[in-house]
Amino acid sequence: MTEFLQALILGLLIGGVYALLASGLTLIFGVMNVINIAHGAFLILAAFVTWALWRATGLDPLAAIVVLTPLMFAFGWLLYNLTIRPIRRAPPAASVLLTFGLALFLEGIMGVIWGNTSHSVRPPYANDSFRIGELFLPKDQVFGGLVAIVVLVSLYLVLTRSWLGRAIRASAVNPQGAELVGVNVASVAALTFAVGVGSAGAGGAIASVLYPFLPGSHYQWIARLLGIIVLGGMGSLPGAVIGALCLGVAELMTVTYIGPEWATGVPYVFVFVVLLLRPQGILGTRLREDVATA
Amino acid sequence: MIDAGATAIDEGTLKGGGAPPSRAPSSALRSPWTAVIALATLLVALFPVLSDDLYYQNMFILAMVFAIGAVGLNIITGYAGYVSLGQGAFIGLGAYAVGIGVTKIGGSPWVWVPVAGVLGGLVAALLGVVAMRARGHAFVILTIAFLFLLQLLATNWDGLTNGTGGITLPIPTWSVDYQYWPFYYALMGLLALSLVLSWWIRRNKFGMGLIAIREDEDKAATVGVSTPTYKILAFACSAAFVGMAGGVYGYYISFVDPLGMFNILLSVQIILSLLLGGRATLWGPVLGAFIIEWLNETSNNEFSGGNARLLIFGGLLALTVLFLPHGIIPTGSHWIERWRTRGKAGLAGERLTGIDLQERSAPQPRARALSDTPLLEVKGLEKRFGGVRAVDGASFAVPEGSITALIGPNGSGKTTVFNLIGGTMSLDAGEVWFDGQRIDGKPPWQRAHLGLGRTFQITRLFPEMTVLENVVAPLRGFHLGLLGANAVSGREAERAEELLEFAGMRKYRDVRAAALSYGQQKLVELAQILMLDPKLIMLDEPAGGINPTLIDRIGDMIRELNASGKTFLIVEHNMPFVLGLCNPVLVLARGQTIARGAPDEIQRDPEVLDAYLGEDFSVEQPVGA
Repeated sequence: MTEFLQALILGLLIGGVYALLASGLTLIFGVMNVINIAHGAFLILAAFVTWALWRATGLDPLAAIVVLTPLMFAFGWLLYNLTIRPIRRAPPAASVLLTFGLALFLEGIMGVIWGNTSHSVRPPYANDSFRIGELFLPKDQVFGGLVAIVVLVSLYLVLTRSWLGRAIRASAVNPQGAELVGVNVASVAALTFAVGVGSAGAGGAIASVLYPFLPGSHYQWIARLLGIIVLGGMGSLPGAVIGALCLGVAELMTVTYIGPEWATGVPYVFVFVVLLLRPQGILGTRLREDVATA
Repeated sequence: MIDAGATAIDEGTLKGGGAPPSRAPSSALRSPWTAVIALATLLVALFPVLSDDLYYQNMFILAMVFAIGAVGLNIITGYAGYVSLGQGAFIGLGAYAVGIGVTKIGGSPWVWVPVAGVLGGLVAALLGVVAMRARGHAFVILTIAFLFLLQLLATNWDGLTNGTGGITLPIPTWSVDYQYWPFYYALMGLLALSLVLSWWIRRNKFGMGLIAIREDEDKAATVGVSTPTYKILAFACSAAFVGMAGGVYGYYISFVDPLGMFNILLSVQIILSLLLGGRATLWGPVLGAFIIEWLNETSNNEFSGGNARLLIFGGLLALTVLFLPHGIIPTGSHWIERWRTRGKAGLAGERLTGIDLQERSAPQPRARALSDTPLLEVKGLEKRFGGVRAVDGASFAVPEGSITALIGPNGSGKTTVFNLIGGTMSLDAGEVWFDGQRIDGKPPWQRAHLGLGRTFQITRLFPEMTVLENVVAPLRGFHLGLLGANAVSGREAERAEELLEFAGMRKYRDVRAAALSYGQQKLVELAQILMLDPKLIMLDEPAGGINPTLIDRIGDMIRELNASGKTFLIVEHNMPFVLGLCNPVLVLARGQTIARGAPDEIQRDPEVLDAYLGEDFSVEQPVGA
């Protein structure tokens, strides 16, 4: 029972971090119909920058979010305008291939700069745990999960309470309509992409404490995040949160009861099962395709 | 012993393998290119004999592995439009099939190569089954998950695959004088077979159906293409030879491990070969593969591989998507075409006027009395979108031989009713009967085969196909033999031209559908539906958004087709058009049929006036006229 409870709580905590990362991905998909395969590479890049800052100045990785989020936001905005904007009217496959190319390119760059060895950020609390009864909760996971939830809630508030949030949601639902009522959809798309990448910056800083990483880790991360948004329903923010918590718990349960070597397989199983049984995911809706071409 | 067997099989492939690429598929490209391709093929075929340089033999071998992968990928990505980032997985799968077969069961690796092919085809067909419900982005995600899942299985299933330790295959036992020849010619043979398959698919109904799926999958289903069958077969075709090539490749490098075999970079190189060379072309993937292998060697030699390969291939993938999205061959032939036709005027729009019934050889008009038997009958139709009841118990019948109109205010559920009858949407409750059969459980293509044809409110032609191809695309039935029939047979082309003539669009037969105006597209879509020779033709706003002359013309065409025996169900907002053409008229409001009758009765029906205008509106004169 203790074992189960421990796996459940840790799964939910890590799920919070996944939720933050997956929100950015699903947001980008929802607004511009782009599957950003480079999302994993963005978060690994953020993790490396966090590592470099920590090494150079001793800056706490969770505090580094304050630096990483705007940094990655700017990076995302620039990248959108340089690469994705020119092809935003191309067929959807183009953006998948493009972001996939970007992911590989970033992986190469990170390999050149930091080498293809495993890195991890170890702040002083990394080896401590909270003890509650028989439960051991590592402090880095508790802090990481809590910080992720705070960032996620602020992201949610921005999306629901601000003009930008309304513009983003309007652009997601009906780009032409949004344009007609005065929303500059192209620049909203750039901002959305930037917000998504910015959240990957925050999530990457947190992830740098929780998992060791190397440039090639981005494949595993993107697989996780894709599994989450497929499960939750592509483009749905609440869906991403639910999917992330499910994945976090399912991974920890797999580690506990089946074996750690199979944990990486959980998101792939999610993808197959969901696409076979309920292709629209938990909270996704089937759209009326007959009017979508109008 | 093993050696002798291996050589014998190999010589077999040598004889079959050298010739076909230059012979069979050359008709796809015109004369000057035939010579170039023949020469290149000859060069590749004779290279090992002429030169004993193992470095280049190795390069050619790897290039052919990429090429086989890319030609296979072209079938689902180029023709059917399903982008896969996991094509490399089939190379790994084939290599593992051979590796496991040889180490667990025994025998020559060559014996296991066909098994690898069958396995590849079967696994791909399963992927096709999943892809029945996952389109576009979801499918791309599926292929990534598929690749990683296989890698994970290969890593963790120690008992079968020896985990990360990998499988070492026996070293070839033939004389060193033969160098890599057996591998070389086996792969060349497989490449030739892949190309023949790709060429065969493209020129037949199979390829036509796949392209229709790529252009508009739902529409393809409504014109009789049984999309799941097409997709599953296409997936199997895309992977069978790749699996075999993977088997040969595994034997060639004699070591099979999860990281090497399920490396995502392999998939990237395959997809780059296809993109760079040109999607949906026959030779594009081969051209691309040789370029990619050359880059691969360069990055290994000049920049010591690793990160350089990631930078080169990642960068190239991004740049190709941005600057050369159509690939070398299509872009090149487009330039040549532009250069050839410079200074010549395009086909100008022709003024379409009312049709002169005497001049054409159209379907023979014959007088028919309006019968009482319904051709189409719907009972208690219901469809909900979330909380919205778009169709809420609609019931009506369309008498055989009639031109029935379905009118109603915007949002009354007319188009949804069409989608439910045509099968593009599944209904929540109710029954649809057509020609004495209950059809609401049938997929759209079967309804099309039974004689139900429909057009869409916003025309949906296959944009990249020519007008003629669009009209020929509909299928009136399905059997496996049909897949191998010519894409455009002489008889079909003749009939299609007749229909285009009827629609006044014959001049445009070789124009891409996307280049037509909206009104022209409506006419072509009508001709396309007529190709199905349907009993019932359902038109969704045939007069919407087109000029009055064309409206008259469409009205004339409908009358003439009706006189020759076709039944019509028409959704339309243009009241003079409806009232002058249709009888009976059905009125739909809030998802229910509220009235049915002759046009003049409908005009006076207080309930109809209420539905259209609201109850506080009082009319002094009949509306509509």
